[in-house]
Amino acid sequence: MENPESPQKFVVPIGPQHPALKEPAHFEFSVDGEIVTGASVRLGYVHRGIEKAAEARNYPQGLYLVERVCGICSHVHALSFALGTEKLAKVVAPPRAQAIRVLTSELERLHSHMLWLGVAAHEGGFDTLFMYSWRDRETVMDLLEQMTGNRVNYSINIIGGVKQDVSDEIKTAILKGMDFLEGRMTHYLTVVTTDETFLGRTRDVGVMTREQAETLGPVGPTARASGVPIDVRVDSPYAGYVDFPVNLIVDDGCDLLARFVVRIKEMQESIRLIREILDHLPEGELAVRVPRRIPENEIIQRVEAPRGELFYYMKSNGTDMPERVKIRTPSLCNWASVINLAPGYKLADMPMILAGIDPCFSCNDR
Amino acid sequence: MELETALQSAETLLQPLAVEIKRPEPERVDVYITLENLKPAVQTLVDAHWGYLAAITGVDKPAPAVAGAAPDGDVEVLYTFANGGALATLRVRAPYTDAQIPTICDIIPAATLFERELIEMLGVDCIGTPDRGHLILPDEWPEGVYPLRKSFTGLNQE
Repeated sequence: MENPESPQKFVVPIGPQHPALKEPAHFEFSVDGEIVTGASVRLGYVHRGIEKAAEARNYPQGLYLVERVCGICSHVHALSFALGTEKLAKVVAPPRAQAIRVLTSELERLHSHMLWLGVAAHEGGFDTLFMYSWRDRETVMDLLEQMTGNRVNYSINIIGGVKQDVSDEIKTAILKGMDFLEGRMTHYLTVVTTDETFLGRTRDVGVMTREQAETLGPVGPTARASGVPIDVRVDSPYAGYVDFPVNLIVDDGCDLLARFVVRIKEMQESIRLIREILDHLPEGELAVRVPRRIPENEIIQRVEAPRGELFYYMKSNGTDMPERVKIRTPSLCNWASVINLAPGYKLADMPMILAGIDPCFSCNDR
Repeated sequence: MELETALQSAETLLQPLAVEIKRPEPERVDVYITLENLKPAVQTLVDAHWGYLAAITGVDKPAPAVAGAAPDGDVEVLYTFANGGALATLRVRAPYTDAQIPTICDIIPAATLFERELIEMLGVDCIGTPDRGHLILPDEWPEGVYPLRKSFTGLNQE
């Protein structure tokens, strides 16, 4: 009920500590009854100053540092940094290394999307799907551990290539895992598109039309679910994506449901790509030598992280330490879309709309 | 070939506003512009639907490092637009003595988070930006201390 004498809005603060929000961010939703009329965001509660710290470390140290920007998509950060440094130094990693980098990227995408599927289902009150999806995610986590020795920060990249090879034993294990997951993906796609209760939470919620998407500038699956055909893997292939092209997945649904469908179809595409890479893994060296000191140069490296386009700007100055490393993570682009989309929806839909972009707080607070 | 077409169209669009145009990498075109031409240049790219704003990068350039820079040094601000595989970067310089650039939020609303980051991390004021609150740094962070400036080496612990 609007009080004509008081033009003040009623503001609902959420976070940085809140039972419905597991990560530290602060939102202020101004509401009129149940309907959200405005939204603003405050980040930085776990900001670590990684960009600044990278300026005081040499390139191999920087690689370890940036891998810790994010605990979910750690590989893409290390990959951008490694590719960027190689571009600065004008060297190219061998084909086998590039293929293994893509293989790791796609395994990472699988586990990241499954993690998201679980979280998003949980926000929608569908905890059974959350538990199944996280159980199946363990398949990928185990494969990554078997392949690289680590579940989270795989640390497979070095500047100039990769450290770990893919043996026949691991290849067999990955292929077996993919067979299992392929069946699960078909099941998930059926569940999210047919379960009436769940559809009630996703269909026509958080609609972002293609025109809005083009103005607000979201990236990755969030943009592709609004029919915007952008994917760095396709637009500007890097590493092994030159030899192993991916198919672009877009959906014109524009709502939360479309974001589920796009991500599940992307996982199916990742499974296809992983099989193709394992069948046609190039032979040869795993790494090339890269000089310690890198002459003055400046590059932009983009990589498709599970959440969208990851942007690295790197500048070298002739020493063994970079002059500037700028990291623009996909979540930062996607926030703008949420803040602008929120007005008009119910406060109760906010957790789902927030989860729909797959926000990564540690990426924002790098 | 699509890449070359996109890069050429960016060059053609921005030619009248540019001081200098360079091609530092095969997929990149760098357009050096003056501050007053920033908004017209952004407007031109947006009107032509040339890609989307991928990032705003601030690079601190203290005086001795760069020849021909302002005497006290300056911050170079890079507006990178991505169009498929092509990247166009608008490069402007904001001197320390007058570190102010116009906001582009009225043209691209999504730039607000990038501009807030630029304001607090590098001390480049974006005149007219809608939200000036802290985005990343703590509420009690001292005024006028910008962590991504080269001169910043840590807060004094008292």
